[in-house]
Amino acid sequence: MTPIDKAGARTDDPSGDSVDLEEAAELDVDAERAEEEAHGLALFRRLPDADARAELSQLYQPLAEYLARRFYGRGEPLEDLTQVANLGLLKAIDRFDVERGVKFSTYATATVVGELKRHFRDKGWALRVPRRLQEAGMKVGRTVTDLYQDLGRAPTVAEIGKRTGLSEEEVLEAMETAHAYTTQSLDAPTDEDGAATIERLGAEEESFELLEGWTSVAPAIRELPRRERTILYLRFFRGLTQTQIAEELGISQMHVSRLLSRTLSQLRRQVSDPDA
Amino acid sequence: MTSDVTVSVPARPDFVRLLRAVVSSVGARLDMTYDRIDDLRIAVDEACAQLLATAAGSITMRVTPADGRVIVNVCADAEVDPDAWPPPDVEESLAWRILAGLADEVHFELSDEGPVVRVEVQVQPA
Repeated sequence: MTPIDKAGARTDDPSGDSVDLEEAAELDVDAERAEEEAHGLALFRRLPDADARAELSQLYQPLAEYLARRFYGRGEPLEDLTQVANLGLLKAIDRFDVERGVKFSTYATATVVGELKRHFRDKGWALRVPRRLQEAGMKVGRTVTDLYQDLGRAPTVAEIGKRTGLSEEEVLEAMETAHAYTTQSLDAPTDEDGAATIERLGAEEESFELLEGWTSVAPAIRELPRRERTILYLRFFRGLTQTQIAEELGISQMHVSRLLSRTLSQLRRQVSDPDA
Repeated sequence: MTSDVTVSVPARPDFVRLLRAVVSSVGARLDMTYDRIDDLRIAVDEACAQLLATAAGSITMRVTPADGRVIVNVCADAEVDPDAWPPPDVEESLAWRILAGLADEVHFELSDEGPVVRVEVQVQPA
């Protein structure tokens, strides 16, 4: 575990009633941590070995998650923040210099926080979306799904407006907002999203980043969550529409739209700044 | 009578949103479906990402509905080396892959004003 986890536990119990116990636990944790640090160092020396890299990223996963949670509640879905934090963690692992004598957790914290801040800066406008728009966004999301069922095709903006009672401008505004906001109740993403489809796609999808045009971002694509990779594949190799992908994966079209925009901007960043 | 819509914005990432809003509005006017409009928006994003890299002062987007299609012409007022635009091997680039996946036609050109990314999308009204 990381020092930060311990700090987190402390704030959970601010009463101070159990100080003795806590100190005892700390000693234990210290010993454990020393052991873990040695293990971590050994792993760093094995880099760029892929297994060592994977193990390191798993070892420090709690740190990334902790930092992501620190930025939660500012209008960005936790899922996105965790993803940004994880990318930051991988970056830190790849750049960390064992010989410098800095603790990895210190170095990684700086890198991950930097990435999270950049994420917020990049979409600065999105953070102050008024509640009215958030609600409109949820309404539009639901209506798109409903209308798709009724019409057997993606609805037009006019049709969505008619059903929701929102003006064309409001629907379009909601569409734009959808890219920044997750409506958990509608979309609650889970690892099981479209698991059957993902299973079925198999080997072709596994290696599609090696196909022409995508090789420059192959490493970034491999770091993507499985579902995001599948969406890219279905959209750009199978030529499915967002609505068709939504149906395949059992999530809303708005969710597909959001994941797609986000994934593309991540990849874009990777191309323009390969070190990022 | 023309139904072209032209809008010019500072070549900065935070203004791309405005171009997306404009292209969405034109799409809605043409009665395009929701996911088709989203394709347009992502295409504008991608075109702008390419053009912003050319250090332009402004970006001008012209949206032209024509004959069951909509043509989106995005141009940067940058002076670029004719050898650097269209970027070498552009058809193998990620940007091309993305745009070609979203639009029916993709063009990277050098106009008198500067570098251009143009896409054409079938309207396919509902």
